[in-house]
Amino acid sequence: MRTCLLLFVLVFTTRAQSTREVRNPHTSPADVAAGAKIFRGHCAECHGLTGEGGRGPNLTTGVFYHGSSDADLLRNITDGIPGTTMPSVFFSEDQVWQIVAYVRTLSERRNQTTTGDATKGARIYANLRCGGCHLVRGEGGTGGPDLTLIGSQRSLEHLREAILDPNAKVAREFRIAHAVHENNAEHRGFVMNEDTHYLQLLEAGKGLTTLPKRDLRKQTIEYKSVMPSYRGKIAGDDLNHLVAYLASLRRSTEGASK
Amino acid sequence: MTPLCLALLFVALHAPAQVTFDRLLKADTEPQNWLTYSGTYRGWRHSKLDQINKSNVKDLKVSWVYQMAMTHRVQTTPIVVDGVMYISEPPSNVVALDAVTGRPYWRYRRSLPSRINVCCGQVNRGVAVLGDRVFVGTVDAHLVALNAKTGAVLWDVAVADSKTGHSVTVAPLIVKDMVIVGIAGGEYGVRGFLDAYDVKTGARRWRFWTVPGPGEKGNETWSGDSWKQGGAPTWVTGSYDAEQNLIIWGTGNPSPDWNGDARKGDNLYSDCAIALDADTGKLKWHFQFIPHDVHDWDATQIPVLVDAEWQGKPRKLIYWAHRGGFYYVLDRTTGQFLHGKPFATQTWADGLDDKGRPIRKPGIDPSEEGVTIYPGVQGATNWYSPSYHPGTGLFYLTVWENKGLYRKGAAEYIPGNRYIGSVPKIDLEDEPGYGAIRALNPKTGDKVWEFKTHTKPWSGVLSTAGGLVFAASGGWITRDRPDMEAFFHALDAESGRELWRMNLGGEMSASAVTYSVKGKQMVAMPAGSALFVFALP
Repeated sequence: MRTCLLLFVLVFTTRAQSTREVRNPHTSPADVAAGAKIFRGHCAECHGLTGEGGRGPNLTTGVFYHGSSDADLLRNITDGIPGTTMPSVFFSEDQVWQIVAYVRTLSERRNQTTTGDATKGARIYANLRCGGCHLVRGEGGTGGPDLTLIGSQRSLEHLREAILDPNAKVAREFRIAHAVHENNAEHRGFVMNEDTHYLQLLEAGKGLTTLPKRDLRKQTIEYKSVMPSYRGKIAGDDLNHLVAYLASLRRSTEGASK
Repeated sequence: MTPLCLALLFVALHAPAQVTFDRLLKADTEPQNWLTYSGTYRGWRHSKLDQINKSNVKDLKVSWVYQMAMTHRVQTTPIVVDGVMYISEPPSNVVALDAVTGRPYWRYRRSLPSRINVCCGQVNRGVAVLGDRVFVGTVDAHLVALNAKTGAVLWDVAVADSKTGHSVTVAPLIVKDMVIVGIAGGEYGVRGFLDAYDVKTGARRWRFWTVPGPGEKGNETWSGDSWKQGGAPTWVTGSYDAEQNLIIWGTGNPSPDWNGDARKGDNLYSDCAIALDADTGKLKWHFQFIPHDVHDWDATQIPVLVDAEWQGKPRKLIYWAHRGGFYYVLDRTTGQFLHGKPFATQTWADGLDDKGRPIRKPGIDPSEEGVTIYPGVQGATNWYSPSYHPGTGLFYLTVWENKGLYRKGAAEYIPGNRYIGSVPKIDLEDEPGYGAIRALNPKTGDKVWEFKTHTKPWSGVLSTAGGLVFAASGGWITRDRPDMEAFFHALDAESGRELWRMNLGGEMSASAVTYSVKGKQMVAMPAGSALFVFALP
């Protein structure tokens, strides 16, 4: 019985410990500022000045591929990530917590709240026939970007801007290629990938295509968006609702914004 | 076991095919092997093998693949000795393989501390072989000697302290009875050096500090105490001029990379070609490509040593395409600058003066808001091996045509942490530029041909007597974007025309080698976490 009791206590305390979440003790504005300073000198070389990514992953999406908890970030920054180019650091634990505090701010825009109502926004999305060009969870067209996870990928301001002024920022992956084959067949689509020998497109209504460059007579890439501007075509509240709906489109494991 | 049997065993184990220094000196007379990092001491990465050639390379097929049990970036140059291949696996392991089948004989796996700081991944560029020993540097800054037949550790010495950002990623070079090994850590404020170790005992014979200390010539080119964290690492294998007994090696950037405020002066011997007496490690001459570098333009290229006519007289030359975008011809006896010319787009200099010193344009130094110039942060070329082909007389190299954004930031030295002073941007989103394999006339630096690649290659080139240049057009694949290509190409050495290619589907940041076993020529190239070996059917 004593052994049994001991075992019970042991299991109970272990479970209690494992469920106790480690929280960053350094999250004040001063900590964030100190973390930003270290980030600029030590992290931004690979992750970009604003965490937008480069040689290392984008840190602004709130998705961390090697664990998202405070404890995960502390460990990965301190020790580096095995099998990747992420090195370790020789800072004090307090300083690493400050880096974690700053890194958290990079994706905070995801958690911004809108005054819009996502349910109403979904109806506006349908009324404006956005699905004619955009996909959401497999429903819709391929004339525009797939929006299934757009809430994770873009800030509220970016979504608002993209609706009102689609040409303000055209992401690399949404460049449009126009290619003419030797036999005069024309191809137009998003550039999914490109290398020395091939152009890989997502053609509206046709799907994924690879074109050998040696067979092309002409090849141009446009940085313009094919999306029409909705400035003046959508009322203020409706815009907020639509943005709220788009912001709610994210990974199922993430919380939707309210 | 009978005495006779024992004796036979002894003979079998000890008699054949030991790699002697003499064999290394004459490595070009046994093209079936690949005995040093660059193939020979002259740094040519050229092979006399011609079984695979222009007319049949189109039939080249994968012969075998060796998959490494890790996900680190592979930069190894295989060493091949009489049918046995020795490769390093990142971070710091070594495998001996049957060069025909790809089946391993043995594997040395290094146990490493949990915190290892290498600027750009825990890489290793290969091993060196002498006698019955294989030598490998480690990311925890040790040099290890292994038994070539069993992989057993013979000695293991600390080159430096890995807790202060030191690591050994370079493939060592054997000179006489010494292992020459360099150090990495230019992004961590190490004080660079080049070392020589006794092959038998691991005892250090000499050390040349690439950043001179107080009282030494050159220390006056560093303001204050900046020499203590001066960088000038030696992370790519150099060459050896046997006739003059000179080790010729390239040095890397001064630290911190992009902020030179605390290290006023020319910062010798960063970004230099240095020539050391092989027996003493004493400096014979140096040539600095970039005095007071603030762009991270290392001179860690392979010195290509060629004896040729120069202005009507035979002369010992070095051909050198430097990261900053200029191609140089130097005199190998004195280090004298003979000729220089851009081999890629550069917008930072108005040329070179008569000593080879760059004439800098104003406003090119990194700034808080950023300065955009050609070449970009990775340079117009980098550590990627070039090749010299004695048949075509051409110099081949990997080139980047892109610009980069150079930003300046604060730099505070904290031992073991990054000491770079910036946030550069390698690629501008809308103007990534392109890559190329180029052939230059080495006497003039003029471009003879180019093979353009859509993405910028991170690999070196290999030329062969079969009239071929093997090159790759892919490089580092970032985790977020799958857009880096991974082609391995065979190009016509005379025209640059692509004769064969294969998509190897993974990161390529090594250089190919070729060898032959039982009359069959093979070409080896790492890609992803694997080594691919090709042969004719």
